[in-house]
Amino acid sequence: MTVFHFFNCAILTFGPHAVYYSATPLSEYDTIGTSVKAAVVYLGTTLVKLICLATFLKVPENDSFDPYQELLKALIGFIDVAGLYFALTQLMHRNISQNHKFQAVGLGWAFADSVLHRLAPLWVGARGLEFTWEYIFQGIEANANLVLNLSLAALGSLMWLRKNKPRTLIPIIYACAGVLATMPSITSYLRRALGWHPPKVVAFELASSLVMAFISWQLFSACQRPSV
Amino acid sequence: MAGRWSGGGGGGEVVGSIYSVLALVLILVACVELGDAATAVDVYRLIQYDLSGAPYGSRLAGLNHHAGAAPFAPGADLSRTVVILPVRELNLTFLQEYITSKQPLGGLLLLLPQDIRHKSGGGNKSRNVGLLRSILSELEQLLIHVNLPYPVYFAYEDDKINAVLADVRRGDATGQPATATTGGYKLVVSTPEPRKASSPTITNIQGWLPGLVGDGTTQLPTIAVVASYDTFGAAPALSVGSDSNGSGVVALLEIARLFSRLYSSPKTRGRYNLLFGLTSGGPYNYNGTMKWLRSFDQRLRESIEYAICLNSVGSWNNELWLHVSKPPENVYIKQVYESFSEVAKELGVTVGIKHKKINISNPRVAWEHEQFSRVRVTAVTLSELSVAPELLQSTGGLYDTRHIVDDTAIHRSVKLVAESLARHIYGYEGKNIQIFADNSSLAVNPSYVKSWLDLLSRTPRVAPFLSKNDPIILALKKELSDHTDEVHLQHESIDGMFSFYDSTRATLNIYQVASVTFDLLLLLALGSYLILLFSFLVITTRGLDDLINMFRRPPSRKAKAA
Repeated sequence: MTVFHFFNCAILTFGPHAVYYSATPLSEYDTIGTSVKAAVVYLGTTLVKLICLATFLKVPENDSFDPYQELLKALIGFIDVAGLYFALTQLMHRNISQNHKFQAVGLGWAFADSVLHRLAPLWVGARGLEFTWEYIFQGIEANANLVLNLSLAALGSLMWLRKNKPRTLIPIIYACAGVLATMPSITSYLRRALGWHPPKVVAFELASSLVMAFISWQLFSACQRPSV
Repeated sequence: MAGRWSGGGGGGEVVGSIYSVLALVLILVACVELGDAATAVDVYRLIQYDLSGAPYGSRLAGLNHHAGAAPFAPGADLSRTVVILPVRELNLTFLQEYITSKQPLGGLLLLLPQDIRHKSGGGNKSRNVGLLRSILSELEQLLIHVNLPYPVYFAYEDDKINAVLADVRRGDATGQPATATTGGYKLVVSTPEPRKASSPTITNIQGWLPGLVGDGTTQLPTIAVVASYDTFGAAPALSVGSDSNGSGVVALLEIARLFSRLYSSPKTRGRYNLLFGLTSGGPYNYNGTMKWLRSFDQRLRESIEYAICLNSVGSWNNELWLHVSKPPENVYIKQVYESFSEVAKELGVTVGIKHKKINISNPRVAWEHEQFSRVRVTAVTLSELSVAPELLQSTGGLYDTRHIVDDTAIHRSVKLVAESLARHIYGYEGKNIQIFADNSSLAVNPSYVKSWLDLLSRTPRVAPFLSKNDPIILALKKELSDHTDEVHLQHESIDGMFSFYDSTRATLNIYQVASVTFDLLLLLALGSYLILLFSFLVITTRGLDDLINMFRRPPSRKAKAA
């Protein structure tokens, strides 16, 4: 029964990535190589991030919210953006369209994030006899994270790969990318400083990711229009 | 879809390597032992023993079932349910019915009220406490004398377990009893199969206070003071036996202390040897006492003028009983009884005498002095119990904890015994001289009595589970050697009739579990979510026709092949 629960939570956590890959044209153009490369870049980025966190951050004595430390953490969080930049621009890709490239990179990025941050707790926790909602929430969180990463990758590809974009949209793109990059810090703030309960936090993550995805989609299609 | 996954040579290799790495990680992580219980409770298992080959007590230790609480629908199948019964509101007839009809249970968890562990302050509780006492002793006798083919555990009520119980009750009230499909709580005790304790030992402790050998006489008469220190109860790990027979042990130690002060100076040393014996095996027909007496040589045995056995002297009001197995008209008995009743009168209490003949052919030995009588040594038992207990009755069970023992009762017992002994030793019979008067240097020391009583009330002392060098045995030995000479331990094995099984205490993990139906529904919801997501993505990125084609393709292939 508990293995069953683990199975359910794993489906919720990792299923959407697979579905996304197989349902969209990504699978038709066989972009798995790009996704894997993005995942490897994510691994490297996380390592750098960890080293930075370990170097610059104090070990918190209690679970309270320290604004200075959190600001530092948010800044270190921007290393993610650097990693994404590297993945989008510097990696040797097979000749795939920008459209597919950012999806593949975002997908690989999100999947690596899920595996690294959620698989081990899931395996240890969800197989136990004790039932908690925690792992279901974690799965939903993974879904929100996938959407967020895809949006961020889309905006990244707009910023760095697209040359002829409408001048008026550029500040909006940068602002949205900034919001997306600080999203982990925002949720951490909600969770720790405001003491939100997990259902509320997860609902917020889901809602915000969907809103950001919609905005990014609109921006992306707006940039697409002149070229079409 | 499957074709899409493995399509492309280079991509397939990468996927393969990822899978192998993932598998390796999974195997590594699978080795991590899980120990995440929401609630862990200390539980104490019902004793498991064989009496001349016949099995008694709880025969299993491992537990892994859902929790249930009374009342149950008649005829409900409880073979996969751990029944939680708070002793406070126990319906003994329900339990009796279940046990006598030999209905299977998944397990039984009996919740003991906290106030039997701690001294309760309120006086208005005494009626409840009396009721509780009778329920507990009835329960104990019921459980000890049956063979239960399932695990039975005792636990103390606390907030955590009460919350669980309330939840279980709520669940039972709203729907059918908890099973694997409706969720609820799962109680897990993972403990190895109980094993037979190999050759349990009993340890007797003895110490001497030698009398003053006068000119001419070489052999002094001996007076023995004896108390059995071990216990037996439904839960071996809870059998502290404060009254039976912790009170007797404390009284003996205090008497030894008082006389050691008298005997330390040649001026006040009496012309009697005093022999102090702490015997084991009390619940098993005073097996240890028998072995102890057998180890004496003939001369020593004959030198014993009489022996006083102390048994349960800690919770009486004003009446003690002197149990004898020779008729009260016997000269020695009469003398002992008279000296006791004389002192009792001065203390304002009464000592009654009860005569019970011993039957040599009957293996049952109800009182410790009967073992002395069997080897023709005059002996009496001083006890608050007026009737001889049955086998394994009044041996320091569940209810016999610190709170039922009254310190002043022990003081009076000590004073009674010490005073009458002293008058006999120094020949002051009939004279009103208080040797151990209060506020004198030879007064009974209340803090000494209290500290020893507290220690004994914390220490379960079921003989088969005490090792030869158990701390409590060493502590008793050390205490006795502080006051007496020639202290030594005698290790014996319990005679064949009894054999015991270990794992007397364990940790109960309580898990709140979701039902299988919940997980099935979750799977259904997740499946439809993924299918919807898939359809949505296909429609938005490739168009509706593509999605429809996906489902049409297989039949069309077949048609082509045909």
